[in-house]
Amino acid sequence: MKGQEWYQADEVAEEYDDKRFSKGGQLIDRREKAAVLEAIMPVEDRSILEIACGTGRFTVMLAAQGADVVGLDISTAMLQQGRRKAQGRELAGTLEFLRGDAGRLPFPDDHFDTVIAMRFFHLADDPEAFLREMRRVSRDQIVFDTFNRFSARSMYNWALPMGSRLYSKSEVSELLAKTDLTLVEVEDDFLAPYGLYRSIPNALASPIRALDTTVGGSPVTDHFASVSYWNTRLR
Amino acid sequence: MKESLLEILRCPLDKHELELEDAEYDGEEIVEGTLVCPECGERYPIEDGIPNLLPPDMREEAPA
Repeated sequence: MKGQEWYQADEVAEEYDDKRFSKGGQLIDRREKAAVLEAIMPVEDRSILEIACGTGRFTVMLAAQGADVVGLDISTAMLQQGRRKAQGRELAGTLEFLRGDAGRLPFPDDHFDTVIAMRFFHLADDPEAFLREMRRVSRDQIVFDTFNRFSARSMYNWALPMGSRLYSKSEVSELLAKTDLTLVEVEDDFLAPYGLYRSIPNALASPIRALDTTVGGSPVTDHFASVSYWNTRLR
Repeated sequence: MKESLLEILRCPLDKHELELEDAEYDGEEIVEGTLVCPECGERYPIEDGIPNLLPPDMREEAPA
């Protein structure tokens, strides 16, 4: 897995939410949460596993809406942030965090209704093996995102503390076929790369986002979409 | 972690059910303790309420 050390540093974990999801990042945060909810609603009483849950952005939201959620991550520092976040919230469902390896999940076969992995596959060295393991513990649905090849994101990859793995649509389709998953829906979003949103204030981010939506709808520009949300079911 | 989590935790190596040892509680939460696999003998610590189910070969690579 790429970026393991960087990701596990305490100071990175403490600043992670602020850096990633404030200012222009709020837009991304909202958009990603909407994409996840849209794919798995209704979440009430659903058992959900999130791989690489980080500071618990999705896990806390899902548990607040009544899901029984388990968040798994490699980083104790990130998980402690998640735990703190959850302690201050009234949760209709349940939420547990644990440390583990996404390649060797500590759960029985066919256990969770839904397994999600957001911002995970761009760091995966062996995506097929990870997806196969997610499928093993799921009995119904798998939701994940990928950063796309040919996106504007490629241009600033050098600036990240770790390079990102980019995927083409056909690569992902092949992965789904190999792991016996059926595509329910794929949604493309964010023509402009994440890094741009993150570095600009909200007042500026909104008009750019609006422009993105306008331009992004046409078949010509879909090619340049920066992220895809994949909603899949077990075959 | 709550004790109910134990029902779904398995050894990451052989997927055997785990047994809880030396548990310390804070209300309903298990804050410290050890999860033991009776099949392979591997031990997994619970640290500050968070069970560490990383396989042994990843523990050095991935320091807390």
